[in-house]
Amino acid sequence: MMIMSGLFLIASIVIMLIAAMGILRLPNALARQHAATKAATLSVSLFIVGLLLQAMNAGWGWEWLVRLGALLLILLITLPLAAHALGRSAVIEKTTKKEKSL
Amino acid sequence: MSLLMIIAIFLGISSLAGIYRLIIGPSLTDRVIGLDLLFAIAVIYCLIAAWVSERTVYLDVAIGIALTGFVATLAWSNFIQLQSRQQTGSSS
Repeated sequence: MMIMSGLFLIASIVIMLIAAMGILRLPNALARQHAATKAATLSVSLFIVGLLLQAMNAGWGWEWLVRLGALLLILLITLPLAAHALGRSAVIEKTTKKEKSL
Repeated sequence: MSLLMIIAIFLGISSLAGIYRLIIGPSLTDRVIGLDLLFAIAVIYCLIAAWVSERTVYLDVAIGIALTGFVATLAWSNFIQLQSRQQTGSSS
Protein backbone atom coordinates (compact mmCIF):
# COMPACT_ATOMS: atom_id res chain seq x y z
CA MET A 1 0.00 0.00 0.00
CA MET A 2 2.84 2.37 0.83
CA ILE A 3 4.59 1.54 -2.45
CA MET A 4 1.41 2.30 -4.43
CA SER A 5 1.00 5.57 -2.53
CA GLY A 6 4.59 6.53 -3.36
CA LEU A 7 4.04 5.68 -7.02
CA PHE A 8 0.96 7.93 -7.12
CA LEU A 9 2.92 10.77 -5.48
CA ILE A 10 5.84 10.43 -7.92
CA ALA A 11 3.42 10.41 -10.89
CA SER A 12 1.73 13.50 -9.43
CA ILE A 13 4.93 15.51 -9.14
CA VAL A 14 6.17 14.41 -12.59
CA ILE A 15 2.89 15.56 -14.17
CA MET A 16 3.09 18.87 -12.28
CA LEU A 17 6.61 19.43 -13.67
CA ILE A 18 5.30 18.65 -17.17
CA ALA A 19 2.52 21.21 -16.63
CA ALA A 20 5.06 23.84 -15.53
CA MET A 21 7.21 23.14 -18.59
CA GLY A 22 4.14 23.38 -20.81
CA ILE A 23 3.25 26.74 -19.29
CA LEU A 24 6.78 27.97 -19.98
CA ARG A 25 7.30 26.56 -23.47
CA LEU A 26 3.95 26.41 -25.33
CA PRO A 27 3.47 29.07 -28.02
CA ASN A 28 0.15 30.86 -27.33
CA ALA A 29 -2.44 31.33 -24.59
CA LEU A 30 -4.92 28.79 -25.98
CA ALA A 31 -2.24 26.07 -25.85
CA ARG A 32 -0.97 27.13 -22.42
CA GLN A 33 -4.51 26.84 -21.02
CA HIS A 34 -4.49 23.08 -21.70
CA ALA A 35 -1.29 22.62 -19.67
CA ALA A 36 -2.51 24.80 -16.82
CA THR A 37 -5.97 23.33 -16.31
CA LYS A 38 -5.91 19.65 -17.31
CA ALA A 39 -2.40 18.60 -16.29
CA ALA A 40 -2.50 20.51 -12.99
CA THR A 41 -5.90 19.02 -12.09
CA LEU A 42 -4.63 15.53 -12.94
CA SER A 43 -1.62 16.13 -10.70
CA VAL A 44 -3.79 17.25 -7.76
CA SER A 45 -6.10 14.25 -8.28
CA LEU A 46 -3.17 11.80 -8.25
CA PHE A 47 -1.87 13.42 -5.05
CA ILE A 48 -5.34 13.05 -3.47
CA VAL A 49 -5.42 9.35 -4.35
CA GLY A 50 -1.94 8.87 -2.86
CA LEU A 51 -2.92 10.62 0.35
CA LEU A 52 -6.13 8.56 0.48
CA LEU A 53 -4.12 5.31 0.27
CA GLN A 54 -1.83 6.59 3.02
CA ALA A 55 -4.81 7.51 5.24
CA MET A 56 -6.44 4.10 4.69
CA ASN A 57 -3.15 2.37 5.50
CA ALA A 58 -2.57 4.33 8.70
CA GLY A 59 -6.22 4.02 9.78
CA TRP A 60 -6.89 7.74 10.19
CA GLY A 61 -10.69 7.45 10.20
CA TRP A 62 -13.51 8.36 7.86
CA GLU A 63 -13.08 12.17 8.03
CA TRP A 64 -10.13 11.93 5.63
CA LEU A 65 -12.21 9.83 3.20
CA VAL A 66 -15.13 12.29 3.20
CA ARG A 67 -13.01 15.43 2.83
CA LEU A 68 -10.67 14.01 0.19
CA GLY A 69 -13.66 12.67 -1.77
CA ALA A 70 -15.35 16.08 -1.63
CA LEU A 71 -12.14 17.79 -2.80
CA LEU A 72 -11.74 15.33 -5.70
CA LEU A 73 -15.41 15.83 -6.69
CA ILE A 74 -15.03 19.65 -6.59
CA LEU A 75 -11.88 19.51 -8.73
CA LEU A 76 -13.46 17.23 -11.32
CA ILE A 77 -16.62 19.39 -11.49
CA THR A 78 -14.80 22.73 -11.81
CA LEU A 79 -12.17 21.53 -14.33
CA PRO A 80 -14.25 21.77 -17.56
CA LEU A 81 -15.88 25.07 -16.53
CA ALA A 82 -12.53 26.77 -15.84
CA ALA A 83 -10.94 25.31 -18.98
CA HIS A 84 -13.87 26.46 -21.12
CA ALA A 85 -13.82 29.99 -19.65
CA LEU A 86 -10.05 30.34 -20.10
CA GLY A 87 -10.11 29.08 -23.69
CA ARG A 88 -13.03 31.35 -24.55
CA SER A 89 -11.31 34.43 -23.12
CA ALA A 90 -8.03 33.51 -24.89
CA VAL A 91 -9.76 33.23 -28.27
CA ILE A 92 -11.81 36.41 -27.80
CA GLU A 93 -8.79 38.43 -26.65
CA LYS A 94 -6.67 37.19 -29.57
CA THR A 95 -9.33 37.96 -32.21
CA THR A 96 -10.02 41.43 -30.82
CA LYS A 97 -6.29 42.23 -30.78
CA LYS A 98 -6.01 41.14 -34.41
CA GLU A 99 -8.98 43.29 -35.44
CA LYS A 100 -7.56 46.27 -33.58
CA SER A 101 -4.15 45.94 -35.27
CA LEU A 102 -5.84 45.70 -38.66
CA MET B 1 9.12 12.30 5.11
CA SER B 2 12.04 12.68 2.75
CA LEU B 3 9.73 11.90 -0.20
CA LEU B 4 7.49 14.76 0.94
CA MET B 5 10.54 17.05 1.15
CA ILE B 6 11.50 16.18 -2.44
CA ILE B 7 7.90 16.74 -3.57
CA ALA B 8 7.80 20.15 -1.84
CA ILE B 9 11.07 21.19 -3.51
CA PHE B 10 9.85 20.18 -6.98
CA LEU B 11 6.54 21.97 -6.33
CA GLY B 12 8.52 25.12 -5.55
CA ILE B 13 10.43 24.74 -8.82
CA SER B 14 7.23 24.34 -10.81
CA SER B 15 5.61 27.29 -9.02
CA LEU B 16 8.40 29.46 -10.47
CA ALA B 17 6.90 28.80 -13.92
CA GLY B 18 3.51 30.04 -12.71
CA ILE B 19 5.06 33.15 -11.16
CA TYR B 20 6.99 33.84 -14.40
CA ARG B 21 3.80 33.53 -16.45
CA LEU B 22 1.92 35.68 -13.91
CA ILE B 23 4.45 38.54 -14.06
CA ILE B 24 5.40 38.64 -17.75
CA GLY B 25 2.51 37.08 -19.64
CA PRO B 26 2.10 38.59 -23.10
CA SER B 27 -1.68 38.76 -22.71
CA LEU B 28 -4.13 39.04 -19.83
CA THR B 29 -5.23 35.42 -20.24
CA ASP B 30 -1.66 34.20 -19.63
CA ARG B 31 -1.64 35.89 -16.25
CA VAL B 32 -4.90 34.17 -15.28
CA ILE B 33 -3.42 30.83 -16.43
CA GLY B 34 -0.39 31.36 -14.19
CA LEU B 35 -2.72 32.18 -11.29
CA ASP B 36 -4.65 28.95 -11.93
CA LEU B 37 -1.43 26.89 -11.76
CA LEU B 38 -0.45 28.65 -8.52
CA PHE B 39 -3.85 27.78 -6.99
CA ALA B 40 -3.34 24.08 -7.90
CA ILE B 41 0.12 24.14 -6.30
CA ALA B 42 -1.36 25.78 -3.17
CA VAL B 43 -3.91 22.95 -2.90
CA ILE B 44 -1.10 20.37 -3.03
CA TYR B 45 0.83 22.31 -0.35
CA CYS B 46 -2.27 22.20 1.89
CA LEU B 47 -2.51 18.42 1.37
CA ILE B 48 1.17 18.07 2.35
CA ALA B 49 0.50 20.11 5.51
CA ALA B 50 -2.47 17.85 6.35
CA TRP B 51 -0.28 14.77 5.83
CA VAL B 52 2.58 15.99 8.01
CA SER B 53 0.46 17.34 10.88
CA GLU B 54 -2.18 14.54 10.59
CA ARG B 55 -5.05 17.02 11.05
CA THR B 56 -8.14 17.32 8.87
CA VAL B 57 -8.35 21.11 9.26
CA TYR B 58 -5.93 21.62 6.37
CA LEU B 59 -8.20 19.58 4.10
CA ASP B 60 -10.98 22.14 4.69
CA VAL B 61 -8.47 24.85 3.81
CA ALA B 62 -7.65 22.94 0.60
CA ILE B 63 -11.36 22.75 -0.34
CA GLY B 64 -11.68 26.50 0.25
CA ILE B 65 -8.62 27.27 -1.87
CA ALA B 66 -9.94 25.09 -4.72
CA LEU B 67 -13.34 26.86 -4.69
CA THR B 68 -11.70 30.30 -4.48
CA GLY B 69 -9.44 29.49 -7.41
CA PHE B 70 -12.39 28.34 -9.52
CA VAL B 71 -14.41 31.50 -8.79
CA ALA B 72 -11.36 33.72 -9.41
CA THR B 73 -10.69 32.06 -12.77
CA LEU B 74 -14.32 32.48 -13.87
CA ALA B 75 -14.42 36.12 -12.73
CA TRP B 76 -11.16 37.12 -14.44
CA SER B 77 -12.05 35.37 -17.70
CA ASN B 78 -15.48 37.04 -17.73
CA PHE B 79 -13.75 40.39 -17.11
CA ILE B 80 -11.37 39.80 -20.05
CA GLN B 81 -14.28 38.86 -22.35
CA LEU B 82 -16.29 41.95 -21.36
CA GLN B 83 -13.27 44.23 -21.84
CA SER B 84 -12.46 42.79 -25.27
CA ARG B 85 -16.06 43.13 -26.46
CA GLN B 86 -16.22 46.70 -25.16
CA GLN B 87 -13.03 47.59 -27.04
CA THR B 88 -14.34 46.17 -30.33
CA GLY B 89 -17.72 47.82 -29.81
CA SER B 90 -16.16 51.22 -29.20
CA SER B 91 -13.62 50.97 -32.06
CA SER B 92 -16.09 49.70 -34.70
